[in-house]
Amino acid sequence: MNDVSHIIQFLFSGITTGSIYALIAVSLVIVYKASQLICFAQGEFFVFGALSMITLTSKGLPMPIAFFAAVFISVCIGSLIQQVLIKPIQGSSVGNLIVMTIAISLALRGLALIIWGRESYILNPYTKGEPLFVFGASLQIQVLWIVGITILVLLIIWYFFEKTSLGIAMRACAENPLGASLMGISVQKSALFAWAWGAGIGALAGAVVAPLLFIQYTSGVMPMIKGFIAMSIGGLGSIAGSVMAGFLLGLVESYTIGLISSKFSDTIVFALLMLVLIFRPNGLFSKS
Amino acid sequence: MKILSRFWWILPIIFIAIYPFTLGGNSPYKSGVLIFVGIYIILAVSLDLLIGYCGQISIGHAAFFAVGAYTSGILTAKYGVHPMFAMLIGMLISTALAWATGRPVLALKEYYLAMATLAFNEIVITLIIGLEGFTGGASGLGDIPPFKIFGFSLVNHIHYYYFVWIIVFFIIAGSLAVVKSSFGRTLIAIHSDEPAARHFGIDSPRYKTRLFMLSSAFASIAGSLYAHYMGFIAPDDFGVISSVNIMVMLYLGGIGTIYGPILGATFMKILPEITYQFQDYELLINGIILIIVLVFMPKGIYGIILKAINRVLRKV
Repeated sequence: MNDVSHIIQFLFSGITTGSIYALIAVSLVIVYKASQLICFAQGEFFVFGALSMITLTSKGLPMPIAFFAAVFISVCIGSLIQQVLIKPIQGSSVGNLIVMTIAISLALRGLALIIWGRESYILNPYTKGEPLFVFGASLQIQVLWIVGITILVLLIIWYFFEKTSLGIAMRACAENPLGASLMGISVQKSALFAWAWGAGIGALAGAVVAPLLFIQYTSGVMPMIKGFIAMSIGGLGSIAGSVMAGFLLGLVESYTIGLISSKFSDTIVFALLMLVLIFRPNGLFSKS
Repeated sequence: MKILSRFWWILPIIFIAIYPFTLGGNSPYKSGVLIFVGIYIILAVSLDLLIGYCGQISIGHAAFFAVGAYTSGILTAKYGVHPMFAMLIGMLISTALAWATGRPVLALKEYYLAMATLAFNEIVITLIIGLEGFTGGASGLGDIPPFKIFGFSLVNHIHYYYFVWIIVFFIIAGSLAVVKSSFGRTLIAIHSDEPAARHFGIDSPRYKTRLFMLSSAFASIAGSLYAHYMGFIAPDDFGVISSVNIMVMLYLGGIGTIYGPILGATFMKILPEITYQFQDYELLINGIILIIVLVFMPKGIYGIILKAINRVLRKV
């Protein structure tokens, strides 16, 4: 491998992790905009997505069905949580709401521990095939799946929030709940949809990355923290910003691991986050 | 009744004082449980000053816990420094860090502040993991000697138990004094309306930074106590998850009351002692218990207790 192939190799791995971070960041942003809270249970949806897909395929279900079933399971869990646990305490303080999502994440992690135990699992790749070689850098087929599905999902999200009336209604709720409710939009329903979306996208991120990573019941913490970072760099409430920040984060991470130091890559990433927060508190891509 | 409502705090002190010989049954394990409770009370109370009184949400409190623990650990285990000095140096480093980061970080609000403190916590942890030669890295730092005071080594668990609880009481009393002082009232003013407070001439960044330094110094003390008790420390004990746990203690107990976080820390540390017998179900049960408390006690455990006491008093 020469220098060029190294650089391209880091690009591939950066885009792969970037896709996952972008998906998780988007799922966080959608929930944040609807409920004004940062959901600490998002990492658990990631784990549930991956592990339930692995279980379903091992039971003999074909890949595509297992994929949609895994996402659907998390959508149900997310909606249920919103209805049963978040809705009743909607009016209480931000801190209370955050701690509630922490409690939920503990309970979900406990549930995952009971269902899947302490072992780590990995899924077979979606399609068999030798890795491709581009300028001497190897590219696994699964990476194409991850990037392809991420782009598709992001397009669907864009279409939903820009073109469908339901999506526009949800955006209105996020902007101004009172105004939206006066226009006859149900804020409660909008929050429910947001949680369903958020949980579904989180699970999808887990399901696409399952063939590349060993996943166990505690694996959700780090992706979630990276999702927080991407979300904050992107400006907290911006879907487009968090997508860009997610990919940027993946790339920065991959190149710092490759070119500077694998030990201190996370230190650098978190230091960058602090700098962005201090000097551009409205997000790296904001105009002001 | 009047005497009770004035001097109720003597009861818990008596309980703590006689615990090792009664309920604790002289067992190192049982006094260990309460040593942990004490250490986490220090963390929870110091974070309550920051979040509960001044409204500055921090998900990075464990970073200062780590600084205290590692300063004590490294200096005493590797360089043979006296534990007392090591603890003081840990406090100095923590306050210096808080002073340096305080102004820019505390200028942020709510979620941005939460994220910045979370990032700070991760930076400290990744540095600890990365600087292996110095800190032992991910596999941890061992051989930390027991605490020594005036040439008297606190090897015996009961001696250390009393030492920890004396410090806990000083920190609780100190925090209560801070809250009731004019400094504390200034903090509450900043919490309720920062722009208004500034209009009254309060230099709020300065007050916030000072409070941050105080709270970090307390957390650092907790870290030193932890390191000398465990004899072995690893980065896992000080990550974002620990910071989140401390925050849970605050809200569980009742934020902004000092007594609430004490109850919350006690509850969170005693709960696993009861639920560990459920083994793999422990995590799920802890989560569900937390959810139940949060749904039914929006003001935390302290709120419920206060309500019950008021009801009893009215009947009497």
